[in-house]
Amino acid sequence: MAPVTLNSITKRWGTFVAVDSISLDIADGEFLVLLGPSGCGKSTTMRMVAGLDEPTSGEVLIGGKVVNDLPPGARDLAMVFQNYGLYPHMTIAQNIGYPLKVARVPKAERERRVREAAERVELAGLLDRKPSALSGGQRQRVALARAIVRTPQLFLMDEPLSNLDAKLRVSMRAQLKHLQRELGTTTIYVTHDQVEAMTMADRVAVMRDGRLQQVGAPLEIYNRPANAFVAGFLGNPSMNLIEVDVSDGRVRHPRFSIEARDVRLSGPAILGQRPEDMSVVNSGEGDFDGEVYTAELLGDSVLVTTRLGDELIAVKADKSISVSMGEKVGFRFGRSALHFFSRETGERIGE
Amino acid sequence: MTKRIRYPLLLCLQLVTATLVLLPFFWMFSVSLKPATEPFAIPAQLWPDNPTLENYILALRPEFQRYFLNSVIVCGATLLITIPLALLAAYSLSRFQFRLLSVFLGAVVLAQFFPAGAMIIPLYKIVRSANLLNTYLGLIIAYITVTLPVAIWMLRGFLLKVPKTLEEAAAVDGASPLRAFFDIVVPLARPGIIATSVFVLIVTWQEFLFALSFTSSKEMRTLPVGMNDYIGQYGIRYGELMASSVMISLPVIAIFFFLQRQFVAGLTAGAVKG
Repeated sequence: MAPVTLNSITKRWGTFVAVDSISLDIADGEFLVLLGPSGCGKSTTMRMVAGLDEPTSGEVLIGGKVVNDLPPGARDLAMVFQNYGLYPHMTIAQNIGYPLKVARVPKAERERRVREAAERVELAGLLDRKPSALSGGQRQRVALARAIVRTPQLFLMDEPLSNLDAKLRVSMRAQLKHLQRELGTTTIYVTHDQVEAMTMADRVAVMRDGRLQQVGAPLEIYNRPANAFVAGFLGNPSMNLIEVDVSDGRVRHPRFSIEARDVRLSGPAILGQRPEDMSVVNSGEGDFDGEVYTAELLGDSVLVTTRLGDELIAVKADKSISVSMGEKVGFRFGRSALHFFSRETGERIGE
Repeated sequence: MTKRIRYPLLLCLQLVTATLVLLPFFWMFSVSLKPATEPFAIPAQLWPDNPTLENYILALRPEFQRYFLNSVIVCGATLLITIPLALLAAYSLSRFQFRLLSVFLGAVVLAQFFPAGAMIIPLYKIVRSANLLNTYLGLIIAYITVTLPVAIWMLRGFLLKVPKTLEEAAAVDGASPLRAFFDIVVPLARPGIIATSVFVLIVTWQEFLFALSFTSSKEMRTLPVGMNDYIGQYGIRYGELMASSVMISLPVIAIFFFLQRQFVAGLTAGAVKG
């Protein structure tokens, strides 16, 4: 178990900056998720912690010690790769035991620990098989067993669930989270899936274009996104973002004008509101009227969309509501959950 | 074309091809079984009236045994030196990027465009000035100049197919690069190593020109050169020539037969997702 510190690490390939001066403190035993769209530098960041890529500048500290010059094997960490990275010519037992074999752990102890790790991830009956005889979910668990077998200081997981089907992903998610709690091992987890981030993380670090956007607990990020990008990236369906003008305590748009007394700003801005904070009402009773573009039944709710200017605005309405396409209804903003972002920088403003 | 026409047509083509390829071998085998009087009988006989093993007994003279031993030593040593060298070279050429990579790879290919005839005089001079004429080592070095470039190219192709993730996984598991190479890369490249080995063996086992030029005494001759013994000033002893041809071919055919299964490179299945 160990805390991890990234000290303004940067990775450049030629003129391309993959990771731009990222600093981050990860507490002992914490489950930190690096979240961002593909190409945002999250995997590169993790690979620099692992020692598979070398930072152009900056320091990586594990357990308070600078590890920049240590090879991956000397950093006492385990990694689960997106495509599992199992050794196809070895049996499952040999795969799980390989880190111990390299570390010259005696054979009897090795076998005992391999068995324990395999039982932990429910693989006990498959130890003599080869990876090719296993399903995707089983292979993923082998990779996990190989990671936990030598009780490292740190787990690194690079999109470990992205190759599994949707149902398996949900159950593996729960297993992973439970396992991490039980072992108490510091974990860095890379994903582009915001649901994974929200459900598993103690803290989420959102990245974009090699830069850190916001770091915080999932709910904190969801409730108070630091900028328009984070606001749009977290949450499904994503937050509605509308260009407005604010003056004299009112938010003005060609189609509506609402009161917003507490907002301390004036001039052009972006108004953000999550679909679940809006509501569908009778025509004429809301902040603006609009035609229903689509109404999609999600199961527990109905997602109603309408056109506002060039944008589609989404509203999560109660499933008992009955509206049809083309019907004219009213839409209402929830006054207590209005977010404002700068039109120039996208930063959160108005508080 | 419908399936009903295509199938018999393909079958006929295959039969014709097979006959063209196999006829010389059949003839070789047939002549090797003919008594000394029969090879020139007219009309030519496909199969001898009185098959005999006498040619084989004559061909298995002490000189043949010596030639056989020489061939085994030279080919074996060439193989044992070529494969490890080529493996390490191919690995670095498949994993490390450097500025002259393509130039280097091009040079390796270019080396093979020179016909053996063009290489033989410079090679002869080199081997002579190293005082290695008429030695195993001289011949082995000459062979390696031919086998190494091809082996590097063949192995590089196989090594490029070994997923890089596996070496990264091994690195995280604590293995040094060399350890990962031996534990992970080499086992996964095994079909390629076997295919390359068979290729090297076939090339060296049947090589004639270098073996003739770089050896002078009878004791140092290899099998292909030794066959020359039967082609004399006053006649060719076809029966014995063909009997020894059969015996020379057998090891190569046997090796190929037993290892062809290994060429099916299905070993990386299950390594990564899929």
